[in-house]
Parts: sequence; structure tokens; C-alpha cells
Amino acid sequence: MTAEVNSYYPDYATETPKQFQFSPYADNGGSVVAIAGDDFVIIGADSRLSTGFAIYTRDQNKLFSLSKSTVLGCSGCWCDALTLTRILSARMQMYEQEHNKVMATPAVAQMLSTMLYYKRFFPYYVSNILAGLDTDGKGCVYSYDPIGHCEKATYKAGGSAGALLQPLLDNQIGLKNMQNVTPAPLTLEKALALLKDVFISAAERDIYTGDKVNINIITKDGIKEDTFELRKD
Amino acid sequence: MFSNNIVENSYDPFQMYKKKPETASPFNFVERSKAPVTTGTSVVAVCFKNGVIIAGDTLGSYGSLARFRNCPRIIKVNDNIILGAGGDYGDFQYVKDLIEQKVIDEQCLDDGFSLKPKSLYCWLTRIMYNRRSKFDPFWNNFVVGGLQDGVPFLGTVDKLGTAYCDKIVCTGYGAYIAIPLLRDAFEKNPNPTEQEARDLVVKCMEVLFYRDARSFPKFQLAVITKEGVSIEGPLDIKQNWEVAYVTQN
Amino acid sequence: MSILSYNGSAMVAMKGDNCVSIATDKRFGIQGQTISIEFPKVFQMGPHLYVGLPGLATDTQTVVEKLNFRKNLYELKENRRISPKVFASMVSNLLYEKRFGPFFVEPVIAGLDPITAEPYVCNMDLIGCINEPEDFVVGGTASAQLFGMCEALWEPKLKPDDLFETTSQALINAFDRDAMSGWGATVYIIEKDKITVKDLKTRMD
Repeated sequence: MTAEVNSYYPDYATETPKQFQFSPYADNGGSVVAIAGDDFVIIGADSRLSTGFAIYTRDQNKLFSLSKSTVLGCSGCWCDALTLTRILSARMQMYEQEHNKVMATPAVAQMLSTMLYYKRFFPYYVSNILAGLDTDGKGCVYSYDPIGHCEKATYKAGGSAGALLQPLLDNQIGLKNMQNVTPAPLTLEKALALLKDVFISAAERDIYTGDKVNINIITKDGIKEDTFELRKD
Repeated sequence: MFSNNIVENSYDPFQMYKKKPETASPFNFVERSKAPVTTGTSVVAVCFKNGVIIAGDTLGSYGSLARFRNCPRIIKVNDNIILGAGGDYGDFQYVKDLIEQKVIDEQCLDDGFSLKPKSLYCWLTRIMYNRRSKFDPFWNNFVVGGLQDGVPFLGTVDKLGTAYCDKIVCTGYGAYIAIPLLRDAFEKNPNPTEQEARDLVVKCMEVLFYRDARSFPKFQLAVITKEGVSIEGPLDIKQNWEVAYVTQN
Repeated sequence: MSILSYNGSAMVAMKGDNCVSIATDKRFGIQGQTISIEFPKVFQMGPHLYVGLPGLATDTQTVVEKLNFRKNLYELKENRRISPKVFASMVSNLLYEKRFGPFFVEPVIAGLDPITAEPYVCNMDLIGCINEPEDFVVGGTASAQLFGMCEALWEPKLKPDDLFETTSQALINAFDRDAMSGWGATVYIIEKDKITVKDLKTRMD
């Protein structure tokens, strides 16, 4: 019955147990938001790791600090995220030892794109958002698709609640569809308040987003970590 | 001296008529992927104040047949690691052999160091991920418990290489039946003592026995603390079928 | 690709303080290709009653005709205006009659009760399962985006002017992130003694 209904109404399809069919990918959910300012960038990710209707853990950090001024947020297929970030940090170390300097954020961004495209025909199923300060100390955000398309932005939402979060950021930070407003430089306080607001909204409607948000605040003084609670149902 | 090279690299007009050599494409998964055969069901594990408990029953199921009734799947790796496994029993035995060889190699170095739980957990992550990337996974859920420099550690890895650490870890049906019980108990008492944790795990095994059709009333229970590793069992699940008479009409 | 997202649409309805709003985009497309930018998807069913039918465009048109027929028959028989709640049941019944060969529309209903002027919004799935929330309902291909916007922007007891602003901002910013909907919007603000219809200019890409 369920199978018949699913073929009739694909939009209403629910998961049915498919035994023994091996798929190398899993959707472990999670959302990431990054917002850049003139001299800072913040990146937040929820801490829920789930699959289907089960929650693996409520306390999984999805932010990986690659250097003192670069942080990567990963969501999607968690085993791919683990592998990708592990290789990435190895490449960071190799670069540092070969060139005797830490890789700058734009260079990390390019490397990540190359690494993702290297697995073009068996991709890492990960939605990546990279946040960091560039060599001038300016905040920047890079977002990726699973096969390495890279785009620079000032704000970006990704992961399971990406579609819910992005239009709100467009409106509130990009000032899209606003009339008679003068763009003022974004303050850290405003960015943090907005980040928390969008996650609260996402947790209302996306079952894969919730429990807690881990936030990294990146400034020239380094990375400051912060958390705040979301609904746990 | 160089003729071989020239011959090999030269154009072969009959190439197109020759059978192409079998290439190991990861997309050729229909023949490579497999189903588990003899399986173990849930593993239940919790962290307590100064150690970790892992429990699992001793049944090796063959589909719906309760075929092997004495399949231990909680093992001691060394003095500071215990390991539990669910899923295909054959794959577990193979990985167990790899781990045991690894521990022996480590001992042979005789440098006074031994494998720590985080290292084994990380290593298992790679083993599982590499096999899933070959479309030939080890069909297991592993639960690694131990003491990482005196601090309790509990982590799990599944057949894809998905890995996470938590104070509570349950695999298989335990994820649906035991996790809610454990989360509820931990919310009320986040740092249970060894006895409290043990009672909790035994209770979970009992509930799982009632509701998981692939379970068995005999189980192993491994405890790791500073004092060392103890693997008890097979222990009996206390059964109470009084309600059966109540529901009779 | 699902039949529900063959033509593309975005729709939202919100409750306010003694008022309700319903807003829709104006695109009619066939998958990626835009055919028309003035395609009506929201229809007036009474002095204070509107229904939006996002989904497959042919079913939008068929269903609105069928609904008009049933609603007229009801009002003729009963000699009184239909209330939003009864109308919702009527839509639900119509859809469930086609349970195994459904109309591919996910209706959104907004209105004021003809007697009490109580605000009412609801939506349903394509086979008529009614959802009557306290705050807002969304529908169409941009529903995920709309959920995100509405969840953040909506607040209780919005006055008509604020309700218009909230609804419009929610809709426009949502469909700007959906390729299948957009190309102009129409917003209806329904009050007891006034109905305001505004056509909004939006980005056309």
C-alpha cells in the first residue's frame, strides 16, 4: 500500500523500510549558516545528527576549525563530512609545513572546491559552507555544492533547512525587497541576533534541525565559541 | 630491453575485438553489494561516572531463525578498550581478527604504549568508510567503549563509517526502544554510578528482549573502569509473562 | 518531477487582528519556461472569503469551477453566505471524492466569518486533509521558503497595514529563492468593511 501511495504522490512519500539494499550515502541532516561582516565572520551549525526519524545524538559539532581564521561547516552525509574534513586538515598541515605559513581562507576555499570535484563521479554528499577572514582581515563566506561548485558570498544558509533560512537572510542582511533603507555596515551583535533568530525559525519546521547551535565568531583575535539551545523535539 | 614497452604502447588494430578487462568500477555494485547473513541485534552502551558499560545478547540470527545461541559479540580489546558489535557476525569476526592482530603488533613494539579507545574508534571509522567506498561494506555497527587517559569514552561507527560519540549509544532496535528509556533516565540523573548504570542497561536488555523479535534471553555485559575490564555472561534476562494470562479471554 | 510542481506557485495566508491576508504569485509556467505572468490562482468565493489553489494549473481552473458550483448551490439552498469553515469542509469533501485520482492542488483558504467576523485561515493537502493553525498557512513550490519567512516574521495581532507588509515580505522574499514561482504578486487584505487588493511589482527573473 505504502509503495503504491508513494508512486502516486511523490511529494508525500515517507520512508519505508528497504531492507538489504545498500546505499553508500545517508542523509544525516543539519543546517549551517554563515554571515560575514567587515572585520568578522560568524558561522553556526545545529548539533543534531539524525537519520530518517531517529536522532543519533543531540550534541554533534558540525563546525571544523581549519586554521585560526578559517572554519568549515558541514552537513549532509556525515561519514563523507568526517572523511572530507580529515583529508582537508591533513592538506592544511602539509601546506603549512611546505610553505611555512598558514593557508589563507581564499586558498582553502579553492582547495576545497578542487577536492570536491576530484570525486566528481562518486561525490562527497556534503553541503559545505566555509567562513573565514581573508588576508586583509575582511570576513568572507564561501558555499559549495557536493561536487565543488564554489560561490563567494557575504551570507549563506545551507543544509537541510537551507531553503527555509536563505530567503530570510536575503531580506534581513541583503535588504532584498526593502525600500527606503540605507545599507549600514553589519554589526556583530546584529549578525549574532539574526543567526539565532533564523535557527529558532528553522527548528520549528525542519525535523533535522534542532537541539543546539554551535557558533564560531571569527575575528582578528581568533575564534570564539558560543552555543545556544534550540527546541529538542 | 625496451621492446616490451613499445609493443605495449603501440596501437593494436584488434583491440576493439578483444574482451575488455574487468575494471573494478564502484558503480558495479549489484554484484559487489551483499546482504548480512548471520546477524546480531542491538548493542546497548552507556557512560557512567568512571567507566563504560556495553551489553548485547548472544544470539546469531539467520534471517528469522534463531540459529546460533551462543555468539559472544562483546569483546575486550585490551585493558582500556571494550568493543560491542551488531550486524553480520562473519564481518564482525573478520574485523575482530584484524583488531586482535593490531593489538599484538602493538604489544610486539614493547614500548609500554597500548591502543587507546579513540584511536581504535578512529581506525574503525576508516576501515568502515573504505569498505563502503568499495561498495562492499562490513555490515556492522560497532560500539567502542573505554578509558581515554582515565576519562570514559563511548563512540560508535556504522557500516557507512558514520561515527559519533555520546554518553548513550544504542544500535539496531535499541536505537528505537532502549534510547528513549536511557535518555529519560539520564535526564533525571546525568551522572549515574556504576550500579545505577548497570541496572539501567539490564532493564533495557529486558525490554528489548520483550519487544525485539531477534533478541535472546542470554546476554553479555562488559564493564570497563580504572580497575580493569570485566566481561560477564552469558547472563540471564529475568522474564515475567504474567500478563499473558491477563490478556487471555 | 512531481505533477504538483509542474507549473509552479507560491501562496500564503495569515491571520491578523480582525483581519486576514492571502497572497499569491502570478507566474504560470511549464517547468522552467514561463508562459504567463498574470495567471490568477486566488479566487473570491464570497464578500469575505478567498480560496487559493496552488498546484497543477489545469486543476486550479477545474477545481475553482467545481467549487463555485457547489458553493452557489449551497447558498441557494440555505439562503445565506457560506462561512469559511463550512467552505473548507466543502473543498475537503470535493478533494476526497477523488481520493485515488486526485486533483493536484493544495488549497489555501482565508476569510472572515460572515456573522462573527472571526478571522479564519486553513490549508489542506491534495486529498483534503484540513490544517487550521493559529498563525499562517503556506502552499506551492516555495512552501519551504515560505515556512522559513513566516516563522520568523509573523507575530500575533497584526493590524491590517502590518499584516500587509508581513505577508508581502514573506511571499516576495520566499519566491525570489524559488525558480518555479514569482513574477509579480497579488496581496489581499480582508477586513470586515474593506478589502484591499494590491498588485506588487517584483523582480522578474
